[in-house]
Amino acid sequence: MDYRIDTSDNCTTVKIQGVLTFDDHEKFKGVVQSISTEQAEEIVINLAETKMIDSAGIGMLLLANDKAIKAGKTVKLAGVSGHVAKVVELSKIDQLIPVI
Amino acid sequence: MQAARQNLEELPGEDIGHVPSDDARILVVDDLKSSRMMIGAVLAAAGFTNLDYAGDGIEALEKIREIKPDLLVLDIVMPRMDGFDVCRKVRQELGHDFPILVQSGITNADERVRVFDEGATDLVSKPINAAELISRVRVHVEHRRLLADLRQYQRRMEDELRTAEAMQVSLMKSDEDVAAIAEPRGARIASHYQPSNQLGGDLWQIIPIDDDCFGLLMVDLSGHGVTAAINAFRLHMLIESLTDDRGNPARWLATLAERLYQLLPVEHFATGFYGVYDRRNRSMVYASGAAPTALVLRNDGRNEELDPSGLLLGVSDDVSYDARTVVFEPGDRLFLYSDALTEDFKNVENSLSETDLANIARQALLDDGLDGFPDRVKAQVFATPEDEMRDDITLILMEAR
Repeated sequence: MDYRIDTSDNCTTVKIQGVLTFDDHEKFKGVVQSISTEQAEEIVINLAETKMIDSAGIGMLLLANDKAIKAGKTVKLAGVSGHVAKVVELSKIDQLIPVI
Repeated sequence: MQAARQNLEELPGEDIGHVPSDDARILVVDDLKSSRMMIGAVLAAAGFTNLDYAGDGIEALEKIREIKPDLLVLDIVMPRMDGFDVCRKVRQELGHDFPILVQSGITNADERVRVFDEGATDLVSKPINAAELISRVRVHVEHRRLLADLRQYQRRMEDELRTAEAMQVSLMKSDEDVAAIAEPRGARIASHYQPSNQLGGDLWQIIPIDDDCFGLLMVDLSGHGVTAAINAFRLHMLIESLTDDRGNPARWLATLAERLYQLLPVEHFATGFYGVYDRRNRSMVYASGAAPTALVLRNDGRNEELDPSGLLLGVSDDVSYDARTVVFEPGDRLFLYSDALTEDFKNVENSLSETDLANIARQALLDDGLDGFPDRVKAQVFATPEDEMRDDITLILMEAR
């Protein structure tokens, strides 16, 4: 996977491209890090270009969400479609992380 | 020879008493006795005192087999058998870890390359520079020790993983125990559990509830390795301790999910299916937390997919699940399986749909029914033994009577 971070106004957008799986643990640390370093209160993780996600990938999203809550911020998921949408629908993680 | 002797004399700390001794066993191979003695003296002066000698290739191979040295200092041009042949034979017999330091007067670039092609670890030129020889011997002796430590560590880790694997398998009930619970309660069950080579977090249980009902539970903890295996043990203990509401799948699964939330770190969770079968009306009430889609293979040829959606287990302390019901006719089958059967993230195009898997299961049932069913399904799904070992595999087939 690759990611790009854009900050505008009071919102940080993290765009995740490719697949989000077990092998991306190291890279995803950068995303988690950005939650505390960026000033924005709201972090939108855009998954429009994320082709697949496995259980480790879901774990990473949960970790990002937990980190944000502890820092008094919010994480939202955007652009959910295809395989990712199927996984979100199956696992109901939208009950924990809002999907916009 | 003259140059070497000069170098030897220039060596600092010639008094062996000041040099820390090293017990690495070194075999020095050279057809010239004077060369052997010179190399021996250089090594001894550097603290390597555990030395043996051979005068040609054949003698060298005999000594290697007999004394198992830690390092070989090898000449190339020798009678009977040359150094190239020794390199080849040593690689065949001892593999690639064993260090061979070739000492040779050959200056031709192609010949020097050939030394490495034949399996040498390193090369020092004649006439020998004593300091260089010692440095290289030290590097290779140290390297061999590190490698040996690493291999030993790896072997110990592998042994421990195998032990954990055996313990994980022992958590599952035997076929006899499963039959003793299911058959008086109107069902036959074929099951299979196989941990991956890195240990996974699958766990399944059959739980007797009363004379008519039993529960079927299948859980897959996220993650691999020792963590997942330890979590599987904790999960097993948790399941045993949750004796209330076992006949109420939605409530029981919610309690399990909430308890797992306290047990697991934030990024870890589980998927789970819990169904309670009642022989009186051949019905099963079930709850699912994102488990792989359970399949009902009807006796009349239709396939049905049971709704698997529900919050992951262990991600929240406030969860509720829907109780859903499926009614069976005699001969209908319920097929539960872990995601290893359908998902293949390494080769996405190999992933199977529920329809594919239902067809494979039906085919596997044609021959001998439940007997040997798991093996026939595995043979269809996995192309190679490596594919099969990538993740834990759980297969459960229940047939309503």
